Amino acid sequence: MLLAMATTIALISGCKKSEEKQFVIGMSQCNLGEPWRAQMNADIAAAAAKHPELKVIFKDAQNDTLQQRAQVEEFAGSKVDLIIISPKEAQPLTEPVAHAIEAGIPVIVLDRRLLGTNYTCFIGADNKKIGKAAGEWIAKALGGHGNIVELMGLQTSTPGQDRHSGFMEGIAGTDIKIIFSADMQWLEPNARQEMESALSRSDKIDLVYAHNDDGAHGAYLAAKAAGREKQMKFVGIDALPQEGVVYVQQGILNATFQYPTGGAEAIDTALKILHGESVPQEITLNTRLFTPETVTQGGAEVK
Amino acid sequence: MADRPKNPLLLAIASPAGRAFLALLLVLILGTIFNGDGAFFKIGTHRDTLRQASVYGILACGMTMVIISGGIDLAVGSLLALTAVCCAKMAIHWNWSGWLVVPLCLLVGGTCGAISGAATSWLRIQPFIATLSMMVFARGLAKYASGGMKVSTAIANPDGTYHYVDVPPLFRFVDNRILSGNVSVVTIIFIVCIAFAWVLMTKHRWGRYLYAIGGNEEAARFSGVPVIAVKTMAYIFSGMFAAVAGICQAAQEQQGDPEAGVGYELMAIAMVVIGGTSLMGGRGGIGLTLLGVLTIGYLDKILSINAVPEAGRLMLTGAIIVVAVLTQRRKRA
Repeated sequence: MLLAMATTIALISGCKKSEEKQFVIGMSQCNLGEPWRAQMNADIAAAAAKHPELKVIFKDAQNDTLQQRAQVEEFAGSKVDLIIISPKEAQPLTEPVAHAIEAGIPVIVLDRRLLGTNYTCFIGADNKKIGKAAGEWIAKALGGHGNIVELMGLQTSTPGQDRHSGFMEGIAGTDIKIIFSADMQWLEPNARQEMESALSRSDKIDLVYAHNDDGAHGAYLAAKAAGREKQMKFVGIDALPQEGVVYVQQGILNATFQYPTGGAEAIDTALKILHGESVPQEITLNTRLFTPETVTQGGAEVK
Repeated sequence: MADRPKNPLLLAIASPAGRAFLALLLVLILGTIFNGDGAFFKIGTHRDTLRQASVYGILACGMTMVIISGGIDLAVGSLLALTAVCCAKMAIHWNWSGWLVVPLCLLVGGTCGAISGAATSWLRIQPFIATLSMMVFARGLAKYASGGMKVSTAIANPDGTYHYVDVPPLFRFVDNRILSGNVSVVTIIFIVCIAFAWVLMTKHRWGRYLYAIGGNEEAARFSGVPVIAVKTMAYIFSGMFAAVAGICQAAQEQQGDPEAGVGYELMAIAMVVIGGTSLMGGRGGIGLTLLGVLTIGYLDKILSINAVPEAGRLMLTGAIIVVAVLTQRRKRA
């Protein structure tokens, strides 16, 4: 296997060297302070560790657009073989990436988009699809009718809007009623407060759908304090290994839908590009559903 | 006003406490009108309001002291996160007893407060700048101490898998309810903080010095008030109250989140100001802050039980704060 790979690489590099060619990949992460993004880097590192010919240089832009721009320029200047970027925002980073492409360096864009299509490959998940998958699962779990509390992520952010609109598509045509909804801005203490309000307003709540696992956990704590946590189900999104997945294992959440980081897929795609294979310009990641039944097998893929 | 009202009732209403009470009363009347399908009349709603307001209220205790001294403390939100992380680390990961964790958290908060206090009083850096630096620094320290992740009951093994531990007894104790489930323990902690601050500020010599410094720092210095020590002490108390709030936050979230408490300092300042304590220093008191905490806490809850959308909530809160502060404005005779 390794021999075959070495041969391939030797062939690609024009049989000039007899030893394995090393590839250097530059990875610019927009903000390592977010646990999900730390997970993305961990996924990339884990996938790259399986391929000794790959060397990944990680850089953290600490939520600073201009710093990330400088990082892309540095990577391009030091002639890395490939750049992976998870950009902070589209507009200011589109041009630096275009310059790298012009210099002949392939660029993989992860999670957030750039303007236009001047990159080699975009890999990301679709929040709307995840919201819809959650809606369909909930409709099935409740048998098509029931009272729902929706705790929304920041409604001025695209993920928050998509997780809501996708969900509405998922439950369309059922008798499910959203009896209370609030913007908890992805924050657990806010989710707990809003859930307390929902609990004092309504005696019959069948399920809580929160746009992230923190929100679902906050809602659970509020319901538990009211002694009503057994009367309802809790569904979240994100399924980080140390958060949502753990909550499912502990029996706090009934389900959580993974928002995949695409770290492993980025390395797979990078290898294909480096070996001269063609790759699609858009790769949409599928979500995985974690329930108490599937959590020990690493969840189940939702197509 | 040329002539003050002589009627005792009018005098009471015209006093700062009277005005702050009036603001609270107005908010409560709003609650009875917009009662969220009767949710406002349930005892649970009031218990939850007080629980939610308690963390902000504990921060407001320290903020009152600092503001009366003529300063401001912007670091309390970050210190809350820092102590929440420390508390979670010690109580969950290291399994230390609450009797050890609580004093150590107070020490962390108090030390950071002492640094801000020394920077303002001894090095004479403006309080806004000194505590702004501490706010940024403590946030960084919280992220460093937590490794950028939430410190929760899921503990990472060296091989990347996780094992789980129980929620520590300290957290269970703080996030509990007493009196047949009608009062949250964090609310009791808040009341104890208010009482502690009240005794310090009204019964102790330190409190009189604090008002004197806030009123006129130069005059206080010439009268022999140890200005540096008294002012530094105010920031130390503020840091320690932030530590108490951090412990309450960690217990209620069952984790130490390095991103917790963002913007809480502004909420605490709003609560102090809406109570009627002057941002210029020297005037106000902890009783007024209690009224301010209740006013904003109830306002928040009433908007929440009526499921008012976020945009409307922010606009209404802003508008009501400015109206409340306008009614607080002291008219000079």
